Amino acid sequence: MEIILAALKNSALLTAQLLLIILPLTISYEFIKHRQEGIAKRRFKFFGISANGLIPLMTGIIIGLTYGAGIIIHSIRSSNMDKKEAFLILLFLSICHAIIEDTLIFVVIGANGIILIVARFLLAFVFTYIAYRWLFFKKPL
Amino acid sequence: MMERAAVNIKKGLMNGLSITLLMVKVIVPCYIIIEIIKYFGIIGIISEFFKPFMRFFGLPGEAALAIIAGYTINLYAAIAVLSPLNLSSKDITIVALILGISHSLSVETPVTQKTGVNGWVLLVLRISLSLFAGAGLNLIWKLF
Repeated sequence: MEIILAALKNSALLTAQLLLIILPLTISYEFIKHRQEGIAKRRFKFFGISANGLIPLMTGIIIGLTYGAGIIIHSIRSSNMDKKEAFLILLFLSICHAIIEDTLIFVVIGANGIILIVARFLLAFVFTYIAYRWLFFKKPL
Repeated sequence: MMERAAVNIKKGLMNGLSITLLMVKVIVPCYIIIEIIKYFGIIGIISEFFKPFMRFFGLPGEAALAIIAGYTINLYAAIAVLSPLNLSSKDITIVALILGISHSLSVETPVTQKTGVNGWVLLVLRISLSLFAGAGLNLIWKLF
């Protein structure tokens, strides 16, 4: 019985810590969401990802796949981007998404946040680049 | 402008609270289950079972539980499992990298699929990449 009580107390404590991180984030997400819809379209080429892809990419990196899903799905579908580009964006986002929230919640229980962020960005760039070269070699741009 | 901000704050708060509710539903049971299996010594058996596999990541066997919880349920479940295990900062960072790349697969795979990209390809990629990254970070960590 004591262990269950202790577990209840500790899990409540953990939840409270996570709450302190999550509330400010969800509030800032709302502000970012409206900003992002107004990003000016500039000429941009980055590992086969065009300006159209920048909005879903940034949304995914900052907000994440679960909360950014609406924006990501909408902006990919409405811009008529080709399948390869959509794949590259999702590959990048698979490795590197919700970078603030995911990192902070692990920092709460003792992880090294800097290593996590650097490793995820690095891996995302490397694998997106590999996929880009591999996908586009057969059919050059 | 002020109204917009008020709406944003309210919406953000509501989102945050609904996440918290979701979190509590996952964290509390996971935490209790782990404490109970620790109490009855079951964790040692599980740990032994996963030991040969977890060695590639420089992790103790019981860390496999957190990875499984994160893959199938979500990150909060993984944190609830990790927290009572008292792992080192290095171990937690490695688990966090693995899970950061690959988590809540049951929820996120359908999202990626809706964009028109093959979800299964990404699923296999994410799992293999996450394990590869975990093993890699362990190797790099040993160098320093």
